[in-house]
Amino acid sequence: MDGTCLELAGKFPAEGSRLVEADERELIRRAQRGDRAAFDALVRLYDHEVLRLALKLVGSPEEAQDLYQEAFLKVYRSLALFRFDSRFSTWLYRVVMNVCLDHLRRQKGRSEVQAPSNPESDTEYFQTVADERPELNPERSLKGREIAGRIQSALAHLNPRERMVFELRHYQGMKLRAIGELCGTSEETAKNCLFRATQKLRVALADLV
Amino acid sequence: MANEGVAMSCKDLEQALPFYLYDELPADERAAYEKHLESCPACRQTLEDSRRLHEVLAHRPRIEPTPELVVHCRQALDEALDREQLGWRALLRSLPHLFSFRLAGSGALAMLTLVLFGFGLGWTLRPRSSALLDGGKVAPSLEKSDLGTPELGHISDISQVAPDPKTGEVRITVNAERRVTLEGSLDDPRIRELLVGAVKSYDNAGIRRDTLDILKQRSDNPAVREALLHAMRNDPNAGLRLEALKAVAGMEGQELHQALLDVVEHEKNPGVRFAAVDALADHVVRDKDNAMLPALEELARNDPEGYVRMRSASAVHALLGDAP
Repeated sequence: MDGTCLELAGKFPAEGSRLVEADERELIRRAQRGDRAAFDALVRLYDHEVLRLALKLVGSPEEAQDLYQEAFLKVYRSLALFRFDSRFSTWLYRVVMNVCLDHLRRQKGRSEVQAPSNPESDTEYFQTVADERPELNPERSLKGREIAGRIQSALAHLNPRERMVFELRHYQGMKLRAIGELCGTSEETAKNCLFRATQKLRVALADLV
Repeated sequence: MANEGVAMSCKDLEQALPFYLYDELPADERAAYEKHLESCPACRQTLEDSRRLHEVLAHRPRIEPTPELVVHCRQALDEALDREQLGWRALLRSLPHLFSFRLAGSGALAMLTLVLFGFGLGWTLRPRSSALLDGGKVAPSLEKSDLGTPELGHISDISQVAPDPKTGEVRITVNAERRVTLEGSLDDPRIRELLVGAVKSYDNAGIRRDTLDILKQRSDNPAVREALLHAMRNDPNAGLRLEALKAVAGMEGQELHQALLDVVEHEKNPGVRFAAVDALADHVVRDKDNAMLPALEELARNDPEGYVRMRSASAVHALLGDAP
């Protein structure tokens, strides 16, 4: 792993990475021996980014919370199996990806989509999202919300793996190789997923381009 | 339209387009791609269309978890982990008994089923709020005589503290010499005094939590501020100490920094302690409070928790202006 997962993990403290890694290793060993405080500390190192990713994938805070909990419980239950063969962040995000993929598959199975296709309810869906462009006038802001709703709806119609790969490559900036590793698949498969996702989005959003 | 004599055809370009945009093409393919573009207006147009698609996709709003959602997730996970540990402990505790009684296979199975059923039933019927709030700690019995107002005299019990969402006022039902319901806004000193007293010394965790929820709206008032800081440091309930910590997060000043430092130095609950070091680091860096440097350096060097050391060191670096 080339450290991409560490980038995904976001804010790491300012001491050099060696100290951080040493501290993290110590935390993992203690957590493996059943030290709850050490596990809590590990959770806090990664949970913000895990929650952000879950929120982006499923949209609703309630579902994101479920994913967060399921992922960290799985990490807790299987921590003893972690053998330091890879970075802890890689191992952890692989668990998170599996939980997210399973969730997206279940969602698809129920024929549910993450964002409503009805433009009126789009507003409700995005009401929790801060408008970060105060310079926009109301008309443009409304238009922006409509476009945002269309994007979310188009993303929701991708299949789970395409959705995941596109999110990680386009919005998180991860390299395809790292995505393949995290999703337990090859770089080539990740590449194909990205290609299909892009094609589908181009069709779905053709009138906006 | 395919151009003769170049390494890539229009069809190849179409296949490679997303990877060109995401900078995922090997250098030689990228060079061939760009060479083809120079002589193929149709492919240049396709590339432009794809760039516009990326511009459209940038309209998706940035989705950030709110601090409340983060805290809520952490608390829920904490509870789930408690259940997880409790479940295993209950099962492990039950096993030696099963074997020491040397029950026959079917009897052992029935006993195990009963143990699990009992655990499940006990868990289902547990008082949710106290499991959430008390974290296994029993609130010491406090002197209710601390509470009272000149006009009501000694208050023997508070049975409800509730905000009225329509009027923004607060309704407090107390048992004094008789059952009385008081209504008023937080601007009413009588109401405020009662709530400040309740959050500092009342022995019902549920009432203290409701009171905290209301008081945190008026953290600009010195008495309320003092009560919230008191609750953050001293409430017997870890969940409420965390709630109080969230409530004081909007405040500023050295008094707050000192209170947060006290919590980091003396708090026993890791969840509250980590939240405190997060808040301390954020506040101190934001307010450039260099007076906190020695304490933070001490934490960064010697705290037994790696996370506390890391957060403290991060704040020290930021204060000294040498953060990466």
